[in-house]
Amino acid sequence: MPPFKDEQIIIIAPGSETTLAQLGLPESFTPARLRVRSRMFPAEKQGEWEPYKVRRKQATPGETSEKPADATNGAETVNGDDEVEYEEDRVTEEGAVWPIKEGKIVNWSCFFALITHVYNSLNPPFHTPILLIAQPGWTPREHEKLTQFFFEKFKTPAFSILDAAMATSWAYGVHTATIVDVGKDKVDVTAISEFIPHTQGRVIALSGCGGEALTQGLFAKLQSKGFTREMCEQLKKSPICEILPAGTPLPGTEGAAAQDTKPAAAASTGAPGSGPAAAVATIGNAPGGPVEDTEVGDDTIPEEHEGVLDVASIVAGGKMNEYLAKKEKEKQEKANAKKKGGEAPATAAKPVRLPNSKREKATFMYEDHALLDTLKNMNLGSKGVAEAQAALDEGRKRSQDGAGDGEPSSAVDANDSGSGAIRREIEVGVERFMAADDGVLERISDAIHRAISSVDEVNKRSELWDSLIVCGNGGRVRGFKEALLSTIQSRYVISPSSATIFTSEIPSNITTPAGTGANTPQPQLPPHGGPSQVNPLLLAATTAQNPYLPPGGNPLIPGMPGLNAHSSHGQTPTSVKLVRPPEYFPEWKEVGFDESAFLGAQVAAKVIFVVDQGQSKGYMTRPDYNDQGPTGIHDYSL
Amino acid sequence: MNALNSSTAPAGEYAGDEVSAIVLDPGYNTTRAGFAGEDVPKSVCPTFYGYIDSDSGPQYLFGENAIHNPQANLQIKNPWGADGIVEDWDTATKLWQYAITSRLTGPRERPPIRSSANEQNGSGNRDPDAMDVDVEVAVESTEKPLEDSPLLMTEPGWNPTKAREKAIEIAMEEWGTPAFYLQKTGVLAAFASGKASGIIIDVGASHTSVTPVLDGMVLKKGVQKSPLAGNFVSSQIRLLFKQAQPEIQITPHYLVKSKTAVDAGAPAQAVYRSFDPPPHSSFRHHEEDRVLTEFKESVVEVWPGPQRLSVGPNEEIAKSQPGRPFEMPDGWNQVFGIERFKAAEGLFDASAAQTDAEHPRPKDEHTIPKLVQAALASVDADQRPMLLANIVVTGGSTLLYKFNDRLLAELNAMYPSTRNKIIAPGSIVERKYAAWIGGSILASLGSFHQLWISKKEYEEHGVNIVEKRCR
Repeated sequence: MPPFKDEQIIIIAPGSETTLAQLGLPESFTPARLRVRSRMFPAEKQGEWEPYKVRRKQATPGETSEKPADATNGAETVNGDDEVEYEEDRVTEEGAVWPIKEGKIVNWSCFFALITHVYNSLNPPFHTPILLIAQPGWTPREHEKLTQFFFEKFKTPAFSILDAAMATSWAYGVHTATIVDVGKDKVDVTAISEFIPHTQGRVIALSGCGGEALTQGLFAKLQSKGFTREMCEQLKKSPICEILPAGTPLPGTEGAAAQDTKPAAAASTGAPGSGPAAAVATIGNAPGGPVEDTEVGDDTIPEEHEGVLDVASIVAGGKMNEYLAKKEKEKQEKANAKKKGGEAPATAAKPVRLPNSKREKATFMYEDHALLDTLKNMNLGSKGVAEAQAALDEGRKRSQDGAGDGEPSSAVDANDSGSGAIRREIEVGVERFMAADDGVLERISDAIHRAISSVDEVNKRSELWDSLIVCGNGGRVRGFKEALLSTIQSRYVISPSSATIFTSEIPSNITTPAGTGANTPQPQLPPHGGPSQVNPLLLAATTAQNPYLPPGGNPLIPGMPGLNAHSSHGQTPTSVKLVRPPEYFPEWKEVGFDESAFLGAQVAAKVIFVVDQGQSKGYMTRPDYNDQGPTGIHDYSL
Repeated sequence: MNALNSSTAPAGEYAGDEVSAIVLDPGYNTTRAGFAGEDVPKSVCPTFYGYIDSDSGPQYLFGENAIHNPQANLQIKNPWGADGIVEDWDTATKLWQYAITSRLTGPRERPPIRSSANEQNGSGNRDPDAMDVDVEVAVESTEKPLEDSPLLMTEPGWNPTKAREKAIEIAMEEWGTPAFYLQKTGVLAAFASGKASGIIIDVGASHTSVTPVLDGMVLKKGVQKSPLAGNFVSSQIRLLFKQAQPEIQITPHYLVKSKTAVDAGAPAQAVYRSFDPPPHSSFRHHEEDRVLTEFKESVVEVWPGPQRLSVGPNEEIAKSQPGRPFEMPDGWNQVFGIERFKAAEGLFDASAAQTDAEHPRPKDEHTIPKLVQAALASVDADQRPMLLANIVVTGGSTLLYKFNDRLLAELNAMYPSTRNKIIAPGSIVERKYAAWIGGSILASLGSFHQLWISKKEYEEHGVNIVEKRCR
């Protein structure tokens, strides 16, 4: 009888942007049931935190709303005045504190409050073991601190910490892999060989390369057109934003026209069986924004937008009605134009539906939280807010069923959505392909090169190059993985033509080997290198014609197994491949494996808490903790 | 002696295991740090650092990620001097602290009241890599980073008194460590191989050292060092490239946007990136070294002997060996035949080294065989056979292909009558981090605890206690 049952296990995976958690392991592993934005709001009392922004209700008309953060006198008001009421605003992020930055915990009290919030939301029974997914940037001392917190705060009977990269490799079921975890502000690259992560050369928290960098990349390009950061963020998450492989011409340029004859492989998202891309594609083909009669996908009618209007300031300026009138007029015009377009469909030169990467312009739905916040701060009262909201919402008709497939594709929580945010339609040009233009991919591929080059065992490197795993929500942007792969391909892959051994220096006659004079053993393949890793022609040439050159580098030094031996082709990579995601998790296949660390955590939790039952010291129990204290945690891991 | 209890007490509080001692093994190329009792250093951080002289004052960038990022005007520097001793102590302190805090302990969190009290001595330690963390944490990280960890540090065998005193001063004053000890890398490398006596040949990045160790004590007069080490091999490769016809260009990865496959020897056809303003030339040099490291790993081979490459028909034999291909980041590629033997030959044979105006011929007494000879000459004749039976080889540059074959051949030629035995850990990690591993073993030994210099003793005797206690 195992000490723990599947349904008792809690898994928590904190991230810079989103914290994932789940109570219980389902029969078939599912994506995390609880998704929480990794932020808390300062409560009125210093050092305490609230999961949602608490706004003071406008009970007394004279009082304007103020942020609880700086409402130091707020506590007194509560005591003195019973009329003050508070309401939780579950949508806004105004004044939020994000305790994890670049994978590092920067605000511990906030972090602990977040974990407590997550734990309470799960509402676990008493006997719950906890598995925590650790970011690579957390130091051993911080692991101890966390251990102490979990044991003392939650009285958990058993606790274990699993490294995020390790968890990902569990999810994919591979023992050797290079995990590229693209987070919000950072990228971690971990080379794992035979279940052992290489800590020495691990690239931890490479900053300026995560999802936020992509948003900033868009922002830099679109700022002049009136886009805000939040708009770029949502643009990035929309299916029209795409990263094209290096060297792909942008639509509207001459190169693109020339290329038109060729089916755009990247655009068709036919990436071999990769679930996320497929999922995104479905969304992309019928963008869930049926506004009036205009379907986003077909909307190529040129519009004379000077940029994006800052509706929030218009509304705040009290000109909402004028704005609405103007909008209505525009809509009318658009419909007319549409009709006109319908009258002349003979322009057959224009294909009915181009793939996204071929279109110069595309539109997406923007959920304007800032506008909502503005409305709320305008003393309209809840009814007024609702009315204004309804009037401004262009995407109102958008049915909620989008939440079904779209839920994980947007990092906005399932439990936070339904907020009735105001949606607007925004058009973007080719800038949407330029998110990674400022060298994000180059930096990541350089980091991968560094991480793998620092693996001491030279003969393991090519296997590591052949098993790249790109995960993390920062890399969800369409085409990201393919573009990264093509960047590596064009910059690092050693071409087979460099093996020019045929043309030059094969000795025609074999002299007595100088060196040790020993009889060189017959060449054999290096232990870890299959024939696929070396140029087969080169291998054939060296082995057939010169038996005195051991291709696997079989050094004759006793006591030194050929760990650092030269392989036939000393340099890596000769090829780069992504690991195929596992096939047997149907729920994950739908949403993609970007959060595969969580899947791996479920697999690992099953193994360490249920199957292994602590025999391999996979987790620390409460008695262990009482004996050894927090420092003991380092002894417990698989 | 009873003052030591203060250092062991916090460790004993939990489980009695001394995991909280930190071992710091600073080197020219990398700085190794980790907890005592572990088998590999958890933190291996480049000793090179980035420096930007901007209008808002100098900016220091530490860590692997920062120094490979082609930023405008980025200079790559190293706090070590040419003589194998730390030159720039201020930066070295920050760098070592970064190596410890970034991956081992993390920034310290303290109530704000305390941290403001200690601000004066800590404010210089601000970690520039963590600049974008919020202010609160920045203040916290200026706390003394090692207040509850004893520190064992390594030093080269030729470390002068001044440098040793500086080390204890940093550990005690700036880092606030409760206990400190300084040990020579040679002894520790011997420990890592399970030897108390032997002759330790450490071929690192900037220096090669030969240290005779007897019963855990360094025979100080026998310590030899020479600049013929990993960096020397790199500069030899550079010279070979320069003298090649046509000259071989090293284009580091960061300058290449994409490359195209070309035939061997054909000019590269790559799309290059340009930077405006570009990083400092030292950045390029450092990135070129990355390429050279790859070259050393995959192409360079030490002529295995038994005689020198220049003797008799050896060169012809070497020529007849199949070459090894190498491709530059820009796609240029070539097969290297005899050249790959020549790059490292200078380590053993000064007259075979590549030379030009700036790189004069190395001195004969700096070659590895001569260093061993000199080291043994200062040892009692009857100890020599015992030492020669325990030749411990360590350091990253000894991973050059066939290095050990050649070394043994050279030693056998010099000392034909003794039983010469090379002890080289098979695992690369052990070879590269031998000194650190020895330190990890030493600091976790129960009997070592009487050796720590406690803070109290330091306060009583001052810096020169290190000379008395750490021999």
